[in-house]
Amino acid sequence: MSNLENVQKDFLEILLAGDSKKAVTLAKEVLEGGTAPTEFFEKCISPSLEEIGKRFETLDIFLPEMVTAADVVQTVNDKVITPAVEASESEGITSAGKVLMATVQGDLHDIGKNMVVLMLKVNGFEVVDLGTNVSPSEIVERAESESVNIIGMSSLLTTCLPYMKDVFDYLDGKDTRNEYAVIMGGAATTPEFSEEMGANGYGHSAAEAVALCQKIMA
Amino acid sequence: MRTRGRLHSVLDKAETGPIVEEREFDIEYIQKPIQALIKKYDVKWDKDVFLTADDDLADRVYQAGYELALNTGVYCTSTKRRMVWTKAELDEVIATSPSSVIMGEGDDLAHIQARRPDEDSRVAVCGGAYGIPVPENLFVPVMLSYAQEPLLDFIDNCSLVSTYGRPIRAGSPWESVACWQEVDLSFEVVNRAGRPGMAIGCAENSPTHIGEISSNSIGGFRPSDWHHAALVSELKTNYDQLIKVAHFARTGSHIHTFANNIYGGYPGGADGMAVALVASLILLQATYFGCTVNPGPTHANLSCDTFPAMLPGIGVALQGLNRNTDLMTTAFARTAGGPGTKNVLYEAGALALVGVTSGIALMEGVQSAVGVQQAHCTGLEARFTAQVTHAAEKLTREQAAPIVKALTEKYKGGMTTENRPIGKPFDQLYDVDKVVPLPEWQGMYEEVCQEFEKEFGLTL
Repeated sequence: MSNLENVQKDFLEILLAGDSKKAVTLAKEVLEGGTAPTEFFEKCISPSLEEIGKRFETLDIFLPEMVTAADVVQTVNDKVITPAVEASESEGITSAGKVLMATVQGDLHDIGKNMVVLMLKVNGFEVVDLGTNVSPSEIVERAESESVNIIGMSSLLTTCLPYMKDVFDYLDGKDTRNEYAVIMGGAATTPEFSEEMGANGYGHSAAEAVALCQKIMA
Repeated sequence: MRTRGRLHSVLDKAETGPIVEEREFDIEYIQKPIQALIKKYDVKWDKDVFLTADDDLADRVYQAGYELALNTGVYCTSTKRRMVWTKAELDEVIATSPSSVIMGEGDDLAHIQARRPDEDSRVAVCGGAYGIPVPENLFVPVMLSYAQEPLLDFIDNCSLVSTYGRPIRAGSPWESVACWQEVDLSFEVVNRAGRPGMAIGCAENSPTHIGEISSNSIGGFRPSDWHHAALVSELKTNYDQLIKVAHFARTGSHIHTFANNIYGGYPGGADGMAVALVASLILLQATYFGCTVNPGPTHANLSCDTFPAMLPGIGVALQGLNRNTDLMTTAFARTAGGPGTKNVLYEAGALALVGVTSGIALMEGVQSAVGVQQAHCTGLEARFTAQVTHAAEKLTREQAAPIVKALTEKYKGGMTTENRPIGKPFDQLYDVDKVVPLPEWQGMYEEVCQEFEKEFGLTL
């Protein structure tokens, strides 16, 4: 087992414990030992976050642990990785893709959408989270202004599904449908509805949403 | 007059409470305090027990939940403010909450009465499709399959997939049109069932306030029906819900309130969920001053509330509430399994045993296949739930616990996001014209009834 593999195991435990200080110290030590910041990200941070995502999928850990782990990684990025990348003038950490997320108009439920946002972030995606009760026109306008790759829509209520259809109509109307992959999830949606709308995919859970985005960006 | 004063006080809180960012509320007022309260009140139990019978633990969970309610309050997403209650206010809410209610009209009254754990008094039962989407042509036969069941004291509606062939848009005029269609179809159902005064859980096509308010007026749903207001997870309200409550308060309508604490979400596991659940029910009563209060809750990935590890959390929270307050608490079966499977019966049965012995006043359900599969709902699973409910009235928590454990063994294999046993839609399980179960579904139901008698000694 290589040294970085051992470090990754330690880093995972530190993330699960939510210890930002230890995480920053460990990252600094490893980089001072000659490891490139991008290598540390790819071989320690990414697999640790992937493991945390898997554990959340089976509820071996819960949302508080995942939120804490994401916060710790943000701290490590801000205090260690980003400054090191800037100092070395090497290539930065490559984003896995940019995703716009929104709960559609009429629906104020956000826990499921928030889980997807968090899981996408821990898996290296850049996320533009528009929140809840977002109109179709705003979704389309922000997708354009933010130059996202993927539009993700969520709804818990069947009475909000027509607003999802409106998003496709707006995209068709602006002749920009082919510029984005559009995915959907939430209790009111089904694979059949997704297919009927001409979406690029449907996810039942946060983990499925991440897998879907990874497949789209591959 | 008291109701009006309470309403004004609640609305004032939504407009004068401290401004807080929503993420800060989630982390600093939900996640962190719950984890601290779990430690402070030593909230834990043996993981092999699916129904606890420890009164001291139940009281500690209640104290933890009360403290969360007092220190956190409710977040109003419309005003970005934290609505807070003083200890004196919360104590008054609890002391003045109704402990009994009569639903319905005429000869079709349903009595609901607060209970204590292990009490052998009667539990009321509401059966229905609870918002499961159903095509317009199936609304009447689906709901008739519930209304005709004599063990169901009243019903809760399914929702419509469309209204007069058009999609129902939340917050649009179509929401009002759909709710008025729901009124017409509901009255046809209760009249055909010969129970015209039966209370109806409504309006199930009203995601915003528009449908509820328009259809709760002259010629529409009655004050004696069962009107809904909810807290959004975790501990959040908004103007849509508060507008409904302002209307209910003026019209004197019965209000059923519910929350949906997320197992695996910000409260964490079943211990944190139990604390959040107590806080939710106290705050539901403080915010909406209804008659019946339901905790949900919801599994983060499966969306059901019958996941085995959730059951002791639901049970201990209900025990804490029913030992320390006179709130009319309810349990609501939202099963992973759907109609036409044994799983739906095992799951609903387990939750009924947990709820009834933990002191609920009302058993609700079944939202089969977690309520998202079109027309996956029948009156037969509600009949079964009512049968188990009344059988459980005679049991204590200690007597029910091994039965609950045995039932979780039977259904835990179906607790997966893949290949969930969703069963079949109504028109494949019932004769739609005669509104009777087809032999396959009837036979499966009878087999499970026999299992309950042979294996658990419960005659249904």
